[in-house]
Amino acid sequence: MGEFREPLNVIVTGVGGQGNVLASQVLAAAAVEAGYRVSIGETFGASQRGGSVMSHVRISRDRTYGPLIPRGRAHLIVGFEPLETLRILMDYGNPETVVVMNDRPNYPIGCLLGEEKYPDPHLIVEAVNRLAAKNHVLPATELAKEAGNSMAANMVMTGALSGSGLLPFGGDRFTGVIETLFSGEVRDLNMRAFQKGTEAVQAAGTAR
Amino acid sequence: MRELLTGNAAIARGAFESGVTVAAGYPGTPSTEILENFSRYDGIYAEWAPNEKVALEVGIGAAMAGARALVTMKHVGVNVAADPLLTAAYTGVNGGLVIVSADDPGMHSSQNEQDNRNYARFARIPMLEPSDSAEARDMVGLALDISEEFDIPVMIRITTRVAHSQGFVDLKEPAPRPLKEYRKDIRKWLMVPAFGRLRRVALGERIERVAAYSENAGVNIVIPGDPKVGVITGGVSYHYVREVLPGASVLKLGLTYPLPAGVIRKFAAGVDRLIVVEELDPYLEDFIRGLGLPVTGKELFPDTGEFSPGVIRRGFIAAGLIPEEEARPVRQFDDMPAVPARPPVLCAGCPHRGVFYTLRRLKLVVTGDIGCYTLGGLAPLEGMDSCVCMGASIGMAHGIDRAAPGLRGRTVAVIGDSTFLHSGITGLLDVVYNNGDTTVIIVDNGTTAMTGHQDHPATGRTLMGRKAPAVDLEGLVRSLGVARVRTVDPLDLAGLEEAVREEVAAPGPSVIIARRPCVLISRQAGPPVTVDRETCTGCKTCLKLSCPAISVTDKTCSVDPVSCTGCGLCVQVCKFGALAAAEGGGNGA
Repeated sequence: MGEFREPLNVIVTGVGGQGNVLASQVLAAAAVEAGYRVSIGETFGASQRGGSVMSHVRISRDRTYGPLIPRGRAHLIVGFEPLETLRILMDYGNPETVVVMNDRPNYPIGCLLGEEKYPDPHLIVEAVNRLAAKNHVLPATELAKEAGNSMAANMVMTGALSGSGLLPFGGDRFTGVIETLFSGEVRDLNMRAFQKGTEAVQAAGTAR
Repeated sequence: MRELLTGNAAIARGAFESGVTVAAGYPGTPSTEILENFSRYDGIYAEWAPNEKVALEVGIGAAMAGARALVTMKHVGVNVAADPLLTAAYTGVNGGLVIVSADDPGMHSSQNEQDNRNYARFARIPMLEPSDSAEARDMVGLALDISEEFDIPVMIRITTRVAHSQGFVDLKEPAPRPLKEYRKDIRKWLMVPAFGRLRRVALGERIERVAAYSENAGVNIVIPGDPKVGVITGGVSYHYVREVLPGASVLKLGLTYPLPAGVIRKFAAGVDRLIVVEELDPYLEDFIRGLGLPVTGKELFPDTGEFSPGVIRRGFIAAGLIPEEEARPVRQFDDMPAVPARPPVLCAGCPHRGVFYTLRRLKLVVTGDIGCYTLGGLAPLEGMDSCVCMGASIGMAHGIDRAAPGLRGRTVAVIGDSTFLHSGITGLLDVVYNNGDTTVIIVDNGTTAMTGHQDHPATGRTLMGRKAPAVDLEGLVRSLGVARVRTVDPLDLAGLEEAVREEVAAPGPSVIIARRPCVLISRQAGPPVTVDRETCTGCKTCLKLSCPAISVTDKTCSVDPVSCTGCGLCVQVCKFGALAAAEGGGNGA
């Protein structure tokens, strides 16, 4: 990316259990490796049981910022689930916000029961397209399955974030972190998932 | 070395670096990870106590014996520990004693949002409030020094946002402390009235000395700025104030009991207008007003809920300090799709689900308790009538039973295994002792699931990973005098319903132990349930289970093969045989 806006405000959002805390950890550790300061605000607790969750990651050069990104001030939103992506974009986005989102819906209990309607996924993508400056949509869950396990969708998304070129540091910072954080089969799975995410976003980027 | 640490990990690090050798607590969001992190250091002892009162007593004992001690709990845990806390202020310490109270403004994972700064004033113990991880680490060492210097326990009060946020901490080498010598001193430690009166007077003197110290404490910091506005704040709100109103003069208070009256007066004298920004109660504001200083606080900022930069911004707009247009409302379109809410829900395969389904079916009055299983009270399960505090289910069921003849024999208490050991035992003892008829269901998933699967006295393991004697729950409740004790598998709905029907009807106290490990721990995912679309009538009975793997689309039920664990509950509730457990699946079917 060109000029670095301080602080760079990134929100990682999804549904409790999708591994967004781990993804924000990997992002933060990569930023630290690249020499940046980071502060992270997480939601965990009751919402981990299938509720809406988000992590705020603020990357800066000179000073440390508070853990919460003000509404309307997110530069980047990484959405593990379409509805959560739109929810967070509506609260924290602005016309310059860039989005990386997984296309696989996860239905809230009210929608499973038929009491509420989950919006047509195409309408969600369309709405995100309208609100955001750019939207990278990818089948992260499918790509994670191809990598070996659908649970690795969080690393696919992390790879997509890295591959989007929106961060002031490269994918090698991430792979270094994945190498140290994990071992054995889990490391290999996460590494494959990360690469698939990076490739997916770059392939789409050149197609546009 | 510089590391990115959560506030909780930073507190653990601070305790390790400052020579704490004994730590105790009970899991409770947002405090849990302090002890989990601390337990991984070498040369220390850390334990989960059955509840916060015991944890604090362990800490008081360790401090009395001359060690530096750390005790951790969530805000409501301090209520449980309040009895020893208020007298520990009298006795004081030998080795330093720090109590961490992790408050939860906005109630992310709590039943209330009490402001525990009031406890420091109530107990007359010094209180420190860090605003980020680096301060959290530093303040543990400072708290221990203050504790030893002034012979008093010290509270570190954090909030969810400090506990769970991450920031840089420059690690230091640990500085081990030799154990201080223990000398018998009954005038200090034996709080009978005659000695208690003396220690109360001494407490007043000690806290006066801390107040004098507070006037020069390095953690009360003035950030000079525009003299038109002076903001007094502390904790995480400090960061929001700096971001939203960068030019203002700020007094950041880190030692918030006893408050430095002189520092506050001097700061107030140097600014035209004094504003207090604090989450929850007007704790600072009341004190400042008590000094006779004109101040604004809760007129601008709410006294409930968690603060965020947005809340602070709205307050400063209302104060006329930021022009309205700077609020930057988020752009919206009228024709955006509606975004349904996403409340938390019991996991697919959760062993609690069948219990609440059954209780709802039997139309019983259910007093509930604190844990994941409280989610069983939400629609569509709605298998719980109340949730008040840890252990309340049993006493409340007994109270209902004594008060309302019409509800007698229709009421059950539901409590988790960890919660039962925390504070359910005495409730059950009350039922037995007073010839009650209450039926108690202990939903035993073999862990403290809600807070992230901590061990407890019935799991057979300690916080430090050692093997431990596992409490035999059946033997325990029998020993309390409960004659009717039975154990059921909560995935066997017929067996469960029969047990509940019989025990509720039976005179005298009964305990049903519904035992099945937490699905997140056992990871016993069998093959997913399959649906015969020809047979399914779309009756939606299975939806009443509130299972995140089941939905009804195109008028027939469908089961998500990714999230389904094959627990087989839906197979049991389907009246048409449309749902089938795959070969080898259906744990309870």
